[in-house]
Amino acid sequence: MRGLGWSLRSLGRHRLRTGLSIAGIAVSAAMLLDMVMLSGGIEKSFADLLLARGYQIRLTPKGTLPFDTEATMSGAIQLVTSIRQTPGIAAAGAVLGASLYGRRRDSLITLFGYGIQPEAQALYTIISGGDLSPTDSLGVLLSLPAARVLQAKVGDSVTLVGRLDPQVVTAAVGRTLMVRGLVRWVYDYRDQPSVGTVLPVMQSLAGKRPGDQASLLMVRAAEDSAAPAVVTALRKRFPQLEVNSVADLVREFKQRLVYFRQLSYILGTMSLIVTVLLIATLLTITVNERLGEIATLRAIGISRVSVVREVLLQGVTLTAIGSALGIVLGLVTARYLDSILTSFPGLPAAFSFFVPRRESLTRAALVLLLTGSLAALYPAWLASRAAIAEVLRAEAA
Amino acid sequence: MATLARHWAVLLLVFPAVARSAAAQLPGVAVERQLAHELGLSVGDTIRLGPRPDTAGTLVTISTIYEPRADPAEIAKRERHLRMHLPDLVALLGAPDRVDRLSIGLRAGISADSASAVLNRSAYGFRAYPSASIAAESSQTFRVVSRFHRAIAVITIVASAVFVLCIMLLKVEERRLDAAVMRFVGVRRRTIFGALLLEAILVAALGCLLGTGLAYLAGAATNAYYRRFFDTVLTFSVITPGIVWFSVVLSLLLGALAGALAAWRLVQTRPLVLWGRG
Amino acid sequence: MNRAVLVARDLRKDYPMYGEAVHALRGVSLEIRGGEYVAVVGPSGSGKSTLLQLIGGIDSPTSGTVEILGTVLQSLSDRELTRLRLTRLGFIFQRFHLLPVLTAQENVELPMAEAGVPRELRRARALELLGYVGLGHRARHRATQLSGGEMQRVAIARALANRPALLLADEPTGELDAATGHEILELFRRLNQDGTTLVVVTHDDRLAEQADRVIHMLDGHIVIPERREAPAVPGLPASTA
Repeated sequence: MRGLGWSLRSLGRHRLRTGLSIAGIAVSAAMLLDMVMLSGGIEKSFADLLLARGYQIRLTPKGTLPFDTEATMSGAIQLVTSIRQTPGIAAAGAVLGASLYGRRRDSLITLFGYGIQPEAQALYTIISGGDLSPTDSLGVLLSLPAARVLQAKVGDSVTLVGRLDPQVVTAAVGRTLMVRGLVRWVYDYRDQPSVGTVLPVMQSLAGKRPGDQASLLMVRAAEDSAAPAVVTALRKRFPQLEVNSVADLVREFKQRLVYFRQLSYILGTMSLIVTVLLIATLLTITVNERLGEIATLRAIGISRVSVVREVLLQGVTLTAIGSALGIVLGLVTARYLDSILTSFPGLPAAFSFFVPRRESLTRAALVLLLTGSLAALYPAWLASRAAIAEVLRAEAA
Repeated sequence: MATLARHWAVLLLVFPAVARSAAAQLPGVAVERQLAHELGLSVGDTIRLGPRPDTAGTLVTISTIYEPRADPAEIAKRERHLRMHLPDLVALLGAPDRVDRLSIGLRAGISADSASAVLNRSAYGFRAYPSASIAAESSQTFRVVSRFHRAIAVITIVASAVFVLCIMLLKVEERRLDAAVMRFVGVRRRTIFGALLLEAILVAALGCLLGTGLAYLAGAATNAYYRRFFDTVLTFSVITPGIVWFSVVLSLLLGALAGALAAWRLVQTRPLVLWGRG
Repeated sequence: MNRAVLVARDLRKDYPMYGEAVHALRGVSLEIRGGEYVAVVGPSGSGKSTLLQLIGGIDSPTSGTVEILGTVLQSLSDRELTRLRLTRLGFIFQRFHLLPVLTAQENVELPMAEAGVPRELRRARALELLGYVGLGHRARHRATQLSGGEMQRVAIARALANRPALLLADEPTGELDAATGHEILELFRRLNQDGTTLVVVTHDDRLAEQADRVIHMLDGHIVIPERREAPAVPGLPASTA
């Protein structure tokens, strides 16, 4: 027997059971694909986020991760200047994160502030308007949510205040700044109202001026391949700071989300088990039903190998069709599941848990095809071992 | 004793004591068990605490080692904490008269909501929240996880339903010759349907029992594993009677429905067709 | 005299059944020459089908040997035996056993495809064989769209696909009505006239009557190996040898 047509036509003989089997395989395949995307998506998404502008290295206060605590390091400008002069380093910039308030009529709106060095930053992309210049102490950048709550647009003035004293009911510091541009802050969570000024202005607003404080330094190595060596050199030079490459940060992040990775392995495995059971059961029952036919084929000279091949082909066909449907279904369910997980409070809006990549799709498809083939092995073996005479006698009885 | 609020945590670097010194005047600190274990500390040890790695630090003595309250929001972070009296911390940080939050206990009969409203009327630079609303807000993470689990459960149920229907169909079709013979000898459709449905329900019931047992085992294994992994006493998997009832009822329903559909299909087919001659 | 196509020597076949051995064949020997038309008759349980399965290499004897065109079947591996069935033997069964998802033509092509015959050649031969059995106009119909008689004729065409030296048929008219059975009868007669060697296991007296030789079986023995002669009186059966 040759050709795919025979296997396909045999599957078409019992449309309902074939359809249900394919539906079952599709749902399992969708689940497997989602879990494959989940297991690799977290680190891919986070790494993409961190490498948004090519800055491969972060320096933070000892024992902390970027924006994980309120800890700061002093002498930020001096540190940055020193790092910029290091061979192999293309750019370095300091960032200060702080809580502050925006004045809207008589009320105060809580905002998150970024103090930046615009000439070396990897925190935002401009949506409209312009950027800050490195010495622009009168300008501010707003996120869209900030612009909404402050009811401000490019060219408007906003008043930012900090260091509120509840006893005397005043703000120790206040600055009126002009909105230079509306930006998307890479690490903002959904609807986060964020503002950005040059570093000295934010240090002043946050009361961190003495000591020239910064929350982190971002460093870009001239060559990606040189980044690990630069990390080692910086660690040696600044033992009082935490130096992390993007790979280090991704590893830490993965550790924090280890539950999802493990869940993805467990659910992925269960999907495969269901697929195996479904195909093996369907084909075993089909083979048992067709034993007379198989015995006849063997009797007229069709070899065991041909019989096995046809059963395997049926298993692979079912799996292939189910998997193709499952991949489409999986992409849809992944979007839905991603919309749930990305509603985690405090998670950057640009982050995604389910990242469809060619490798993950290919890997899922190959694993499924292999599984489908393996699942068909037992029924194929059954078919090959059909005792011709015994079966024919039973048929004639 | 004030605790450090996570968002306002200031880095504390611990310098292990050079020698065990039991100076009576040294400030006392309470260290959580995991930190004590990692640094090999015990009650009575003296350590240095400092806000920055390049400071000499202040000598303190460990007066207590405590078991931290299991906080699901913290377990993955592997942060380590210690507690000290507020004046000692203020002195250490050089931050004059500044805290992250105040906790207020109300007298019996006073509602937290009304007290918060009163405080907020004149609040400047702070806000008052009832503890319940803080708890609700900080539970957002777990609500997201719950929604995710529910979504996975729905997908799993759909897959199971398709699987059960497929298997029931196959099993019932395997019996088509038997069914044909029964029809030939005069057994009514209703009787055959009832027999097949009963079989489907029995299989579903057995499956339920097995599944419930498996669920308890899996839950126990999950708790054992993650408690060890995160070094915590938290419970990760709880199987309540409600969950069991829901699962049992749903499984029986799905199994019965699948069996009924398959059986109905069989009894609607003419006996000769079942026999293979139609 | 034509050479021997089949030589069976002292064939015995025992089956275990509920802890005891059932002796289906108890030392059967026979020889069939090229061009012969042999009918094997006997009551149910006499061992007819068992004999057919043994000489066709579908089953293996407890003892004894079967030779087909000089090749001893018991010396062959499973793969060689399968190959022999494909190329040297043709089988026809009581229940036809066509593949329902294939057309009549594709069912006939099946053994040729297995034997590696190129597509165009096997298509042509399939159509030729279907024409021979009177079903050229039904080549593209699925097996399930054919009547019982048509299915059996397709099965016969399939059995002839690889030009077998020996055609074995087990109750070929068992599932057919009288009229359709008669068509099969005619086809077998024509096959034999065209030189095909036939061994037919049957309850059908008409098939037995047109055979050159009738072998009677009872309780696993051959009791009367009958060679047919021309009837002395028309309409009366020939006398037994």
